Amino acid sequence: MDTVVYVARRLFYGLMLMFFVVVLNFVLIRLAPGDPAEVIAGEMGGTTQEILADIRATYGLDKPVATQLAIYLGQVAHGDLGKSFFFDQPVARLIGTRIGATILLVLTAQFLSILIGVVMGVFAARKPNGVVSALVAVFSTLGYALPVFWTGIMLIIVFASWLPIFPVEGMRSARLEGGGFVHVLDVLHHLVLPAVTLAIIFLAQYARLARTSMIEVLGADYIRTARAKGVPERRVVFHHALRNAVLPILTVAGLQFGNLISGALLVETVFNWPGMGTLAFDSILRRDYPTVMGILIIGAAMVVVANILTDLGYRLADPRIRTEGGRR
Amino acid sequence: MSPLLDVRDLRVEFATRHGTVTALDGVSLRLEPGETLGVVGESGCGKSITALAIMGLIPMPPGRIAGGSIRLDGEELIGAPERRLRQLRGRDIGMIFQEPMTSLNPVFRVGDQIAEAILLHQDVSRDEARRRALDLLRTVGVPDPGQRIDAYPHELSGGLRQRVMIAIAISCQPRLLIADEPTTALDVTVQAQIFDLIRDIQDRLGVAVILITHDMGAIAEMADRVAVMYAGRVVEEGPADAILDSPAHPYTRGLIGCIPAIDPALAALDRLPPLAEIPGVVPPLHLLGQGCAFADRCIEAVDICRKVAPPLTGRGHAVACHLHAAAAASEES
Repeated sequence: MDTVVYVARRLFYGLMLMFFVVVLNFVLIRLAPGDPAEVIAGEMGGTTQEILADIRATYGLDKPVATQLAIYLGQVAHGDLGKSFFFDQPVARLIGTRIGATILLVLTAQFLSILIGVVMGVFAARKPNGVVSALVAVFSTLGYALPVFWTGIMLIIVFASWLPIFPVEGMRSARLEGGGFVHVLDVLHHLVLPAVTLAIIFLAQYARLARTSMIEVLGADYIRTARAKGVPERRVVFHHALRNAVLPILTVAGLQFGNLISGALLVETVFNWPGMGTLAFDSILRRDYPTVMGILIIGAAMVVVANILTDLGYRLADPRIRTEGGRR
Repeated sequence: MSPLLDVRDLRVEFATRHGTVTALDGVSLRLEPGETLGVVGESGCGKSITALAIMGLIPMPPGRIAGGSIRLDGEELIGAPERRLRQLRGRDIGMIFQEPMTSLNPVFRVGDQIAEAILLHQDVSRDEARRRALDLLRTVGVPDPGQRIDAYPHELSGGLRQRVMIAIAISCQPRLLIADEPTTALDVTVQAQIFDLIRDIQDRLGVAVILITHDMGAIAEMADRVAVMYAGRVVEEGPADAILDSPAHPYTRGLIGCIPAIDPALAALDRLPPLAEIPGVVPPLHLLGQGCAFADRCIEAVDICRKVAPPLTGRGHAVACHLHAAAAASEES
């Protein structure tokens, strides 16, 4: 009951946020230099003033920006993201063909970075001054500092070129025979390098956070209580302590989701992963406003949804948040 | 009768920035089955370290047990394998801590936290463990236990949380219960209830209790015998009556002198005498010299007090004080 009201409220705030995102993006993009009509005309080969005017009329570019905005908002409210200048297709359909690949990449990277980061952090926390702890610190700082396109290219050179274990690019092999399961394995095979590249940036933060959080929790009174009950050390760490130590990690995981999506843009470009990132990158170069805007809106919506899900997860994990007005 | 707990000459050291400090310097304690031993002293005197040492929970490093022996029913605990200590913890020795607000795991239901202790040490089903947890909540006087068993710690008051801690500590009917300042963090009215509960449990289960406190009033009510600790040593030890009526060590006299005796007539006139205090503080452990650790705060100290640490002498009522030893010697001659 409590949770239903809570979700409704969060969804409402999310919609408000989306409205501002749409307005801001629209205005920003129109302020950027470059005339889409000329780009479209250029693609068509040769241009005259009449053709340009015609194009402007077709796409509504001849109207004042405010009117364009009002029209666009109305469309978006109806789930219509407009038509791509470049592909002459509905943007929603374009994004629809790409969004699955991006979600697969982003969620896999998120899962990998949290899982490996937490494991690294826990082991580092058990001996805060030990060798493992130092290695984790060095490795995680390195991972954080390396630019994602460099890491991606290095991984391609090492694991696709020198040791041809993984494919260089793309999401599927061109020619593949066999049933559905073979295709699943093929996608997973292609997924490894991009997901690892994207995960490495975020791994660092999770490892450090898990280490700090775990050290703090292991010093807590309730951990002493667990030991005094005769709980085996392994269970103390992985049951009593970890459950508390992951709470701040959940928070950060939600906040990182936006960065993860923008990271995916670069990674998709490096690996030619057919997701929203490559589409965004190409569309920016083509001045394909409706597509860029559509991607921004869907990206923002993904972040909003991810944050709501994170908060729900947090409520599930921490009973103190669940009971409203409960003492901490 | 052999003692339930026999701590002899226990030495615990800690590695610190100031080098190695001796947190416990030859502490000896004995406890008979069913008896209550009060351990008193100021913060930092080694009371809690003694308790943790008995539980085998001294963090090592930086801690180290440098010598001595801890026997439970004749079994040596120092150097015992971790497996064995884990069996004893929670099953034969239960412990209650000072901070009920933070001593329960915030993300688990209290019933599960009690049941966990039962499942760890007894071969029973989950349902049976839960049934016992419910009984325990009833035993420790938690109202509406059927509801509270599924509560999270933050949904309970401090007093109720401490009752849950007690339920965990007695869940396997231990022979020894260590209560480390169990009421310090609680309201005064709740304090009395918790002490009543501990006494009640003691009567029912026949469990021996080590009550660590700096509350002399609690000692007077609860303890059969008392050990007074100062800077890592036992400075006076004996029957509670003897120590409260005729404290021999200047430090003990100071502690007892600090209990305000409130004269209602003076209180009505708002003319209560100022509260008594022992001047100074416990010296930092790394600055302890050779002599009696209390010498610097002792108004009666003489030369020898600053040079030689006095041994704990005397049977029944033992005291570690040169002055007392001298007085006793002159009485005997």
